[in-house]
Amino acid sequence: MRVATWQRFGPLAEWRSLRGLFTGLAALGLVVLVVLALTTDRFLSVENIKAILSSASIVGIMALGLTFITLIGSLVSLAIAATAVMGAMVFLVELNLGLVPALAISMAAGAAVTALQGLIIGAWGANPVILTIGAGFLLSGITTKASGGVIVQPTGGSWETLNSTPLGVPLGVYVMVALALLYQFVLKRTVLGRRVILIGENRDAARAAGMRIPRITAIAFAIAGASFALGGAFLGAFNKGASAQLEGTATFDVIAAVLVGGTLISGGRGSALRTLAGAIVIATISDLLLLRGFDTGAQILLKGVLVVVVVLATWVASGREGTA
Amino acid sequence: MNTARRTAARWLRPETVVPITSFAVVLAAYLLTPVYHGHELVDFDVYNTLQGFASLGLIALALGLTILAGEFDVSVLGMQALGGVLAVKAGADSGLVGILAATAGCAFLGALQGGVIARLRVQSMSVTIGTYIALLGLANVVAGNETLTFANTDASIWINQTVAGLFSPRSLIALGVFALVLVVCATTRIGPELRALGGDRRASRVVGVPVDRRLTALFGVSGALAGLAGAMLAYSNASASLNPGLQPLVLAAAAAVLGGLSLRGGRGAIWGLLLGALAVSLLEQVFNVTALPASSAQIVFGSLLLVVVVVDAPDLRSSLARLQARRASARSAPSAQVKPKAAGG
Repeated sequence: MRVATWQRFGPLAEWRSLRGLFTGLAALGLVVLVVLALTTDRFLSVENIKAILSSASIVGIMALGLTFITLIGSLVSLAIAATAVMGAMVFLVELNLGLVPALAISMAAGAAVTALQGLIIGAWGANPVILTIGAGFLLSGITTKASGGVIVQPTGGSWETLNSTPLGVPLGVYVMVALALLYQFVLKRTVLGRRVILIGENRDAARAAGMRIPRITAIAFAIAGASFALGGAFLGAFNKGASAQLEGTATFDVIAAVLVGGTLISGGRGSALRTLAGAIVIATISDLLLLRGFDTGAQILLKGVLVVVVVLATWVASGREGTA
Repeated sequence: MNTARRTAARWLRPETVVPITSFAVVLAAYLLTPVYHGHELVDFDVYNTLQGFASLGLIALALGLTILAGEFDVSVLGMQALGGVLAVKAGADSGLVGILAATAGCAFLGALQGGVIARLRVQSMSVTIGTYIALLGLANVVAGNETLTFANTDASIWINQTVAGLFSPRSLIALGVFALVLVVCATTRIGPELRALGGDRRASRVVGVPVDRRLTALFGVSGALAGLAGAMLAYSNASASLNPGLQPLVLAAAAAVLGGLSLRGGRGAIWGLLLGALAVSLLEQVFNVTALPASSAQIVFGSLLLVVVVVDAPDLRSSLARLQARRASARSAPSAQVKPKAAGG
């Protein structure tokens, strides 16, 4: 009987029920989060909120950059951590030139190596995942060799500026929010941003419209690379040095922030503000679990489950489900 | 004559040429180590290569099968970590029980994610990035957030003992599993069906391939293979690492592309994948005996992947052809202007 009813409505009913399921899951998750937040000691203190924003900032800066790569339809980069470590090293080495030149050189280096990958992907349709794994590995090898395997030390003292806390909030938080607003503007209000989104939505249509896909892809990757290096500079300043050890789990933390924000992995749908929200949500949940006494394993597990659920929900909501 | 040409064409396909060439080049690099490094070739090199193959080969098989079907299972990294932890936890008294628990547990989780991927027809890479993170977390939770040491020394010694000078039970199990997959794919419909899934998903659905069931089973098998690899690695090291890092994925991807698999899916063979995995394992051994620093090995593997992925890129040929055509038309432009005059005269 139940089977017959289900068959009568066909795939439409199934699709609706899936949507309902995910909306319900999201609502339930939100309720649990709010209840936990309200009942957890010290969670709603100014200090704790500062701590959350601060821990979101470095991952957030890099994730805002990755948003461009995901939006243009190149999935993700697996060279994020390697690029960030390179950015940190270049920044610390060039510090004797002053803070701003060092940051500029570091971001330019990150933009250059990442734009090159974007050019190859845009021009020849190379597999972005494998290409960026290879590029990241190559970059790691080169930076380890160049640094002689020791921790790169700052050559000037101005790195401390990046750790400063104007009005009690870390500088990285200001940079993250400013970057989110800037990238949101670029994506939604400029020709470049619209082109990035159109290429991600429909590559063939973009090509037919005469867009220079290789060039635009290279620019999107350059923005991402500069952001990875900028995040890396903050990471280097925070640790007062840089080595391959800094890579840690950065790559997957950054990817998780973009995906949890609800940007569609196949491109064409998403925004910088969503990524900002994703980074903050992940930091909030990690903080909650920490305050509640859960260990690292539980935090990582929940982060992964969250990524899976949001990816599936975004996919179902995009209505592309069942098109392949 | 015609048959000869057809045979030649078959042998010149990339899925044949690439793995044979890759393996031959690496083998030559190994056999020449006495010349350029003064290393003496010994049985132990083969034993060590196969020890490396025991984890790399199984991970490459787990990833390669999904690549063949047009998917990409990042979660093999998490399955490897979880497999190691499960095996160490469950194998304290009996090594066999540990290995079975790891393989079955990872197979179940793999099939679960495969079922979701098949049902929602969602891109597997994004889902498996999420499950990879979740599996690492799960491995941490099961292990209680610390590296587990494996107290069952009997099992550790047994799995690493030399057999016939060149093998160990560990490498023999890996080779046996590879042989089993090879035979199944060559003699049943499963092999062609996997390639059909990767070549044209919609067409394979139309001709009656049970796509959803195949995908569910595929991710189950992928999980089982990675879990088995993790379990045997943990036994071999007498401890379960909680985070394998990205290296196994890099090496497995290198093995897949050197094995002649197309990253777009649908092209490649299991024997090619076997040669690719052996080539990468042997290359690691060459780096070992020549005492190449880890960063140099990283540079070699990174560059290797970059070169292969560019050669594999779908639009490379058409864009080169466009470039050639543009050059050709630029060269013939002056004569084209002459032509109408000649016709008029």
